Amino acid sequence: MSESVVHVSELTRRFGATTALASVSLAMPRGAVYGLVGANGAGKTTLIKHILGLLRAESGSVRVFGLDPVADPVAVLSRIGYLSEENDLPGWMRVDELMRYSRAFYPAWDDGYAEELRQAFALDPAAKIRNLSRGQRARAGLLIALAHRPELLVLDEPSSGLDPIVRRDILGAVIRTIAHEGRTVLFSSHLLEEVERVADHVTMIHQGKIVLSAPLDDIRESNRVGERVPSLDEIFVAHVGRDAAPAPEA
Amino acid sequence: MRSPALAIAWEFRRRHRWGLIAVAGYLLVVATIRFLILEPGEPVLVDSVRFAAVVSVPLTTTFVYLLAVFSFGFAGDLAARHSMYPARMFTLPVTNAALVGWPMLYGTAAMAILWLAARLFAVWPSGIEIPLIWPALLAAALLAWTQALTWMPYGLPGIRLIVAVLCLAALDTVVLLAIHFKAREPMMLAILAPQLPLAYLVARFAVARARRGDVPDWRGLSARSGEIADALPRPRDHLSSPGRAQVWFEWRRHGRLLPALVGLVLPFELALLWLAKDAPAFVFEILFLVLITPPFMAAFTAWTVSKPHPNASDSYGVPPFIATRPLTSAELIAAKLQMAMWSALAAWLLVLVAIPLALEWSGTWSVVKDRAQRMNDAVGTPRAVALVLLILAGFIVSTWKQLVQSLHIGLTGREWLIKGSVLLTLTFLILLGPVVEWIIDSPSVQRALWNALPLILAGLVALKMSAAAWIATRLDRSRLLGDRALFVGAACWCVAVLALYAVLVWFFSTPFVAHYLLALIAILAVPLVRLSAAPLALAWNRHR
Repeated sequence: MSESVVHVSELTRRFGATTALASVSLAMPRGAVYGLVGANGAGKTTLIKHILGLLRAESGSVRVFGLDPVADPVAVLSRIGYLSEENDLPGWMRVDELMRYSRAFYPAWDDGYAEELRQAFALDPAAKIRNLSRGQRARAGLLIALAHRPELLVLDEPSSGLDPIVRRDILGAVIRTIAHEGRTVLFSSHLLEEVERVADHVTMIHQGKIVLSAPLDDIRESNRVGERVPSLDEIFVAHVGRDAAPAPEA
Repeated sequence: MRSPALAIAWEFRRRHRWGLIAVAGYLLVVATIRFLILEPGEPVLVDSVRFAAVVSVPLTTTFVYLLAVFSFGFAGDLAARHSMYPARMFTLPVTNAALVGWPMLYGTAAMAILWLAARLFAVWPSGIEIPLIWPALLAAALLAWTQALTWMPYGLPGIRLIVAVLCLAALDTVVLLAIHFKAREPMMLAILAPQLPLAYLVARFAVARARRGDVPDWRGLSARSGEIADALPRPRDHLSSPGRAQVWFEWRRHGRLLPALVGLVLPFELALLWLAKDAPAFVFEILFLVLITPPFMAAFTAWTVSKPHPNASDSYGVPPFIATRPLTSAELIAAKLQMAMWSALAAWLLVLVAIPLALEWSGTWSVVKDRAQRMNDAVGTPRAVALVLLILAGFIVSTWKQLVQSLHIGLTGREWLIKGSVLLTLTFLILLGPVVEWIIDSPSVQRALWNALPLILAGLVALKMSAAAWIATRLDRSRLLGDRALFVGAACWCVAVLALYAVLVWFFSTPFVAHYLLALIAILAVPLVRLSAAPLALAWNRHR
């Protein structure tokens, strides 16, 4: 059994009267590609924020690389690459300034790889972030999440609202990351077919509770109806109900 | 609800119902005192303290509260460039006139009711003629101008505050002058009445502009220097450490604003020197104005420095981009403190270059030289030089302090705390004048204060040191600062206090001032509590 990169135990989080996470437990082994799926408001981002240390565990515990991300943010965050749905990169920075700035934080930053990604994503180094299109901004965010070759790549709804070409880049990034042995990916999305393409382990979250968490192959096998293997979409609907199922993105 | 007017009124009522109920409750209490407790027709002898406690203070606080309510001050961002008028209302199918008119009308009515109720219900000292209408009109005019100026989009962050303070202070000054010259009610009405339509027109222009997304961007002024920098070869060297990278980030994000604002204001202030050639006393007043400009401006730009993310939808929370930097909260604060230092120094460099040039070109250099010579003769060269350097250092440190002293509030990310502290500060500033006036007018109070001064200072020092000890414990327990950092910080603070104490002892070498008093002053003067609370505030916000 490989060691857990992320270990969440009995994590509960409330916002006022709303329970965002209810006794969530999760262990992500090194080298896994974890797909975290659920409808909007299910608790995916709340769980990810706990893993990044942006939320403090009210009850239960969160350990990343065996450390508490709130108590030891430097040791944890320097090993994580993170791309958020908000993509709040500073608009006033130029692309080359963003690379120059980000590089200072990560001892493992790979200049050659960063430049390779910049060219692959067709990012103009002199362009200001605020002048980039949404897709280009996502690519810039992906660049700085990947260029230090993180041990854990966390993508929170990265392709939400993006065109298919940028989505392809993001999936390519996931594939590139897992190509390096021992690197782990946590990929939250409501686009189930994307998760299905890259994840080897799927966790379904609904109303703050984990309703299903297992290797994708096992999930498919256990939900097989005769010869027919249902899609992740169908499995999700079967577990959380049609009302909660995420709408497919155009 | 069948009309926009009712919908807007409902929103004010629904959102601020508890505050408005509290105001009504206060008016009920004063009315009860007036009509049920005191005998009708009985002459009322109210001393200034009681009057301040029962009428002045609550009335002022209520006025400030209503100002914030009807200008949408609780929901907006004073320091931001964009209008404080809620953008969600711009998509309503109503005219600009309605968007501006109804809040202004409701605000004016609320101010008028507040004054009339206070005049009718409150216990006023006998023998004083209380005006009937113009104070209500003044309150309404101040509100209308606040609405107009806060709803206006501006080209630079922080400008709104400066413009609003200057305009409202100008209106206040006109009214104070009128009172000084014993202007009668019709004259006051003639001064104040035109303010309302004028403010309405400005507010309408502001909302129309904000509604079509026409926000001027004067950041181009600093970007212009950026364009020049673009033409030059861009720095390719790497930022050598995370801390240095974060200081660079903070400088680019906030550091240039203070020097830019000081640079904008300085030419106008120094131009006055050309008018002061024949009035030497006026030269020193202008120089004083110039010298207080950086700390004054810093007090306003501090708003932007202490906000984690001025442009985000949740503008109080730490944006994920910053929150996920592999830096401790203490290192993030250290970067802000360092940036503030560079920003203060840059602003002062401008001032120190501009003053001699302006003095020379305006022909007023001789006036300053003459005064400097006289001071030199009076106290000797070492003391004169030390005094000038001390004053300069005091101004620079004060500018830096203004920039960083609200970090512990702004970085908490708690809207109620931030807005509550703003309200408290405004109330304090409004009350400061009457309190100072009361102290000046009361020799007995002055004597009591002077006698109690050591006790007051000792109490404040005890409070400060207790708070510092509590914060140090929290910093240690939460592992935000290591033992070594805490020790080094405490040692630096002690050195600064001792240095200031030594200077004070050297300077005030008189038997009339006890040395322990100077020690207490030095302890109180060197910042400690608020600065050390900043990492706690940021951590509270960053790890919610």
